[in-house]
Formats: sequence, C-alpha cells, structure tokens
Amino acid sequence: MKFIVQRQQLISSVQDVMKAISSRTAIPILTGMKIEANANGIILTGSDSDITIESFIPAEEDGMINVEQIEEGSVVLQARYFPDIVRKLPDNTVEIESDENFNITIKSGKAQFNLNGQDANEYPHLPNLQAENSFDIQSDLLKDLIKQTGFAVSAMETRPILTGVNITIENETLHFTATDSHRLASRRVPLEGVTSDSSNIVVPGKSLNELNKILDDTGEKVEISVMNNQILFRTKYLHFLSRLLDGNYPETSRLIPDQSQTVLHVRTKELINTIDRASLLAKEERNNVVKLTTKDNQLLQITSNSPEVGQVAEEISVQSLEGENLKISFSSKYMLDALKVIENDEVIIKFTGAMRPFVIQPADDDAILQLILPVRTY
Amino acid sequence: MSQWYPKKGRVIFHVDMNSFYASVEMAFDPKLKGKPLAIAGNPEERKGIVVTSSYEARAKGVKTTMQLWQARKLCPELIVLRPNFDRYRTASKEMFQMLAEITPYVQPVSIDEGYIDVTGTEQHGSPIEIAQNLQQKISSELDLPCSIGIAPNKFLAKMASDMKKPMGITILRKRDISDKLWPLPIEEMYGVGEKTAEKLRAVDINTIRDLANGDAYQLKRILGINGERLQNRANGIDVRPVDPDAVHEFKSIGSSQTLAEDTTDETAIRKLMHQLADNVERRMKRKQAAGQSVQIMIRYHDHKTITRSKKLPHFIENKDDILHFSNELFQKHWNLEPIRLLGITVQDVDEKKNLAKQLDLFTYEKEAGKEKLYEAMDELSQKYGNNIFKQLHNDDKDEEKPRTSFQKDFLDDFKK
Repeated sequence: MKFIVQRQQLISSVQDVMKAISSRTAIPILTGMKIEANANGIILTGSDSDITIESFIPAEEDGMINVEQIEEGSVVLQARYFPDIVRKLPDNTVEIESDENFNITIKSGKAQFNLNGQDANEYPHLPNLQAENSFDIQSDLLKDLIKQTGFAVSAMETRPILTGVNITIENETLHFTATDSHRLASRRVPLEGVTSDSSNIVVPGKSLNELNKILDDTGEKVEISVMNNQILFRTKYLHFLSRLLDGNYPETSRLIPDQSQTVLHVRTKELINTIDRASLLAKEERNNVVKLTTKDNQLLQITSNSPEVGQVAEEISVQSLEGENLKISFSSKYMLDALKVIENDEVIIKFTGAMRPFVIQPADDDAILQLILPVRTY
Repeated sequence: MSQWYPKKGRVIFHVDMNSFYASVEMAFDPKLKGKPLAIAGNPEERKGIVVTSSYEARAKGVKTTMQLWQARKLCPELIVLRPNFDRYRTASKEMFQMLAEITPYVQPVSIDEGYIDVTGTEQHGSPIEIAQNLQQKISSELDLPCSIGIAPNKFLAKMASDMKKPMGITILRKRDISDKLWPLPIEEMYGVGEKTAEKLRAVDINTIRDLANGDAYQLKRILGINGERLQNRANGIDVRPVDPDAVHEFKSIGSSQTLAEDTTDETAIRKLMHQLADNVERRMKRKQAAGQSVQIMIRYHDHKTITRSKKLPHFIENKDDILHFSNELFQKHWNLEPIRLLGITVQDVDEKKNLAKQLDLFTYEKEAGKEKLYEAMDELSQKYGNNIFKQLHNDDKDEEKPRTSFQKDFLDDFKK
C-alpha cells in the first residue's frame, strides 16, 4: 500500500476516527487504526466495538487532488502515536507506505517515521448495512436534536436503557427522548416521505455525543439506517456506526403532565442569569437546590440557602403569571441545562404542584419539551 | 467553693462504667453478684468471643475478645450470658442523664463512658465532692460501679479514670504527671494501640516518660502527625474541648459481620450482604439520614482486608440501593478467595433535614400523594417553628438481636 495525501485532509479524518478508538478494549487490534487505499481514495477506520467510525478521503474532489500515487492495499497502525505524528509533520503532504511485513513508513518533508503495523485482515469486518430502512435528515437539525436531548441521558448504569436516547418514528414524525428519571428532554421534528413503518430504538447517549462532535453543521445530508441492532449515520465521506441498546424504553409520554396549575411566561436569558447566581450558593452534593416562589405583581423570587455558607434571594419579573401560587424547589443544574438548549427568547413553564414534574417549552414552539422533577426538601 | 477551680483552665471528668455489661446483668439479677460472669456474642458459634466480663472472671484470667472456649478453660465455673443491649441502653441513658444534671457539657463517647466539663459548677461543690456524689448516686440508684478521673483535660481524665478500678476516683493534675503517668508502660497510654506501641518500642520508647521526652522529629517520622499529638498528650497537653454535639456528628453508617465459616459460597455471601444492607438501612432510618457513598469491606481467610468504595451522584437511604451498589462493588473486587468477614458502610452521610430529595419521574406519584400533608406541615412549621413534627418508627423491636458490637446511635437520646 502506498499513497501521498494532503496533510490537512488527513489530520481532520484522523481526528474523527480517533473518537471511536479506545486504548482500553477487549480486542487488542482495536487499539489500532485501519488504513485502506484504493483507486477512489483512502478509508480510515476506528472502532471500540460499540462505535465504529469510517472516514473517507476521496482521491479527487471538485477538481482538487487529495490523494495521489495510490497503490492499493491496507494496514493497521498503532493509533496511540499516529495523530500526533500527523499533526506535527513538517510538510503539506504526507507519504504513507507499507510493505508485506506491515512495516509502515511515514514521510513528510525531511522527516521519516518507521512504524510497526499489523495485518488488516485481522481487523474485524464491519457489518455491511444495507439501507433498506432509512431516512435522510440535515446534519444541523440532527445536531440540534442531539444537543437538545442527549444531555438528559442517565450517567448511571443502574437502568442501562436510560443511558440511551430513545428515537422513534411514527406518523411521519421523528422523536428524540432522553431521561435520567430526574429530568426528561424531548424534541420532535416532522419527517416527510418516510415509507417505513413506525420504529422505536435506543441509541447510547455516548454514541450520539461523539457523532455530534464529528458532524459539521453545514446542513449536509445525513442518511440514517437501522438494522440488526445497529444504527448507521452516513454522510458523503463519513460512516458512523453504533450498536443499539437492548431492552424496552419506558413509556414516558403518559408521565408528562397535560394539565397545569401555575403557568409562567419568562424571558429565558433573565431566568438563566438569576438561577445561575442563586446556584452559586447551592451545593452540588445537595442537588444544587434553588427555590422558586411566586409573588404578587408578576414577580418570582429565586432563593438558595446553604446553612454553612449563607443565603441568596433575587426577584425576577415575568411576562405573565397565571394560576395558583407556588413554592417549589429544584436542581439549578437541571434547570440551567434545560434552559440553555432552548434557543428562544421566551419560555413557558407549566407547574402542576410542588411535588410534581414541571414542563419548560419555548414560548412559540411545543416541539421541544424539557421536563424536570422537583426536589422535596425534608 | 470557687477556690477549687483553676482561674484559667478547666476541670474535666472522665466517667467510666466498670465492666458495664456484666455489672448491668448483676444489677438485674443480684444472684450473679460475686460470681465469674462473661457476656459473649454468640455462645454457640465460632465468633463467640468475650465482650466483657466481671472482675471475678478477670481474676481468673478471662479477658475481653478472648474466645469463649479459652475463657471456659481458664474458668470452668464461668457463667456466660448473651448481651441484652436493651438493658444496657436503658442503664446508659439513665447514667448520662445523671451527668447532664450536673452540667450540659456532657460528651458521651460510648455506651459506658463519657466526659463532662464541670468548670463553673461551683454550686454543686468541689470537683471531688461532685465526683463522690455522682459515683454514689450511680451506685445507689442504678446499682452500677464506675470510676471517675478528674483532670484539667480529656486525655488526663481518661488516664486517671483507668488508674483505680472499680469505684475509683483519681485526680491527675499536671504536676502529678511525672509521678503517676510517666512510669506507665507505653501501651497503657490512651491512643497507643498495638501497632503504635510496636513502632515506639522499636525506637526504645518503652514508657510514657520516654515518649514525653522523645525526639519530636523522630516521632513525627515514624508516626506522622499523630506522633506530635501523642507526645503532647504524654506531656499533659490536650486542648480538645468537651463537645456535647460530637456524638451527633456522623459521617458514615455501617455494619460488618464474620461468617460462620470462611466461604466462597455465593448463597451465603448474598444472604449476609442482605443482612448487612438491612442493618445499615435500619440504622440510617434511626438517624433520619441518607448518604452519598457506599463502601464495602472484604476480609479474606488469611486476614487480608480490602475496602472499596463508590461515590454516587445522589443520596441513598434504602436497602435496595445500598445492596445494589454494595453488590456491584463486591462483584468487581472479590478475588474469589474464601471470605471471613464482610462489611457495608454508607459514607458521606448527613441528616435528611439538611438534604433535599430529588424526585423520580417513575416514582414521584408516591411523594406527590403526600403533597397536601407537606403543605400543611410547611405552614404549621412557619407558624410554630421547626421541630414540631417527628416521624414515628417501630423498628426498635429489631434491636433485640444479639450482636457483639455496639452502636452509638442512641447516645443522643439521653437529652430527650
């Protein structure tokens, strides 16, 4: 195998693929990165057996030559050293060559590295996903969906299914839901022209998080297909494959209250700032608790109190306040997480009582829903 | 009377009940008086060790922590009783109440000993009169013997109460140190255990005097910060105040138990884990507490002991959670060798009134059902102040179970 590649192209491809490579893996060869060259270009592959990422560098793109002098072949090289080497090479182009003993030579300018490689035949074969059951989505929208829900997955393995994001398609609507059982985040978007029946899968939150890092928000097309316990996200030059989580995701829609006792309209930014200030005295090990109390004249009071430290109180005026008076305590962290992903100047918060979940939504968009369970102070 | 009290400085008592469990049993059944008596954990099983014994038994060589069969060999007529913790608890509570009548500065240390700071209690008499009256009262009303140490600080008071038993009253002033304290062998010093004594003897420190006059640098090198502390104490310096709230401060709640025999049998292990989690849950409930870390201890057949812990993102209090995380740790860290002892401890513990409980989407209905109740409680608390409510428990019946170790949980009860 041999080729000469533009260094910048190689750097960004290597960075993407490294997201899937872990130094701690049960299968030793997976600590390496597979490089494959053919007439069309080169393919880099990394995998930790949960996630597999393939990045493709086309030999030629829009008349620009990325890869030249290609001699077909493949090899696996040690991923631990490769990214730093590529990043620090002196020239704009990099020549990579491997011989029949898997000895790899990397040349750039006057620098030359000789690395020990491994036989690419020993690298696990990726399942060849046939895109039978697939749909397209724009990358910027997909990134939004991930950002607005992925943070709410559970970090604990107590209920493994909750470490994933539940993705459903029903009635031409794509729906992302995540909950760690203390808060829930969901967003739906219309999906046109999907022929497939309803589907319901759970994708590990970690996978989506990595995918979000790799995807550009240029709005390019992402094809999503699901098969055999795997999900594949495919763009022109990237294949991102993740295993799915086994098990049934709990039915959450019926847990979302459909009535409300107290409804607030409030400016998002102001509320974020006020709660952020109050949380300065709220301690993490005590659930970051802040208290919200409704006052007369369209005022809210946000307070927090740590017996050893002191207390803070701040009033904030709201656009409107309807319904019963309320005193409720909740985690400032959950509240800030939820408010920050709502990219809207105004939010509506609907409460149904001090011990019941409350719902935060953008003022003019009910496709996004953030739900938070309050804390009970003893 | 104030001439008895130093102008600056304090007068501190250490009250030490003499062979407490055995004495309580004798007060309960006077026929036992004058006979060799031992209280032992589990007379039938291997873990049957002597928890405490009467002076008559001690005269025959019976010692605390000795295995029962050894004790019986030394003293064939030994009477062995299982512990009745309820009796001890009641007696202890009454004893501490008597201390609390003298001054509010009472610091219980365990079921049978405590410090009181009698500085400024001239109305009760001189320190020695107070001590005599107290000892008399405990003896006549509870039929229990105790020794009292009188000193300017806690360490000296503790050493003093040890000097004359049973029914002793010993005054240990700073000027007495070189005569009364320094001649004692190093392992008799409070705070010096077997390991520490070994290290000290290795550098030729054999008496408390040697420690008091030892090289501070060398001590620090072999014992760390504790070396400095011990040397200060040997010189009669101890600035710790008598802290009535010390007993309330708890950072961890745990339970451990030796298996009937060393085992790798997962059923037996699982059963014990259940039991331990049960104990921990009960004690957490008693304290109205919740904790944020779980620690397990595994002691293997060869006495090798490991502890492993995990910090959780939220507070737990229920058996299910305690057991879940304990099992998780156990599965991860057990090396499959035979186990002698297991322990579960919940750490980073705090009283629930200082905490908030994050409600759960899938279970909040349970809490929400009590919403009206909490609202009413909140309103009443605002009107009449905190602490007007108390949750009731009926878990005390469980406490009858014989156990060798004793928990201090109840020690804060004597004030109520």
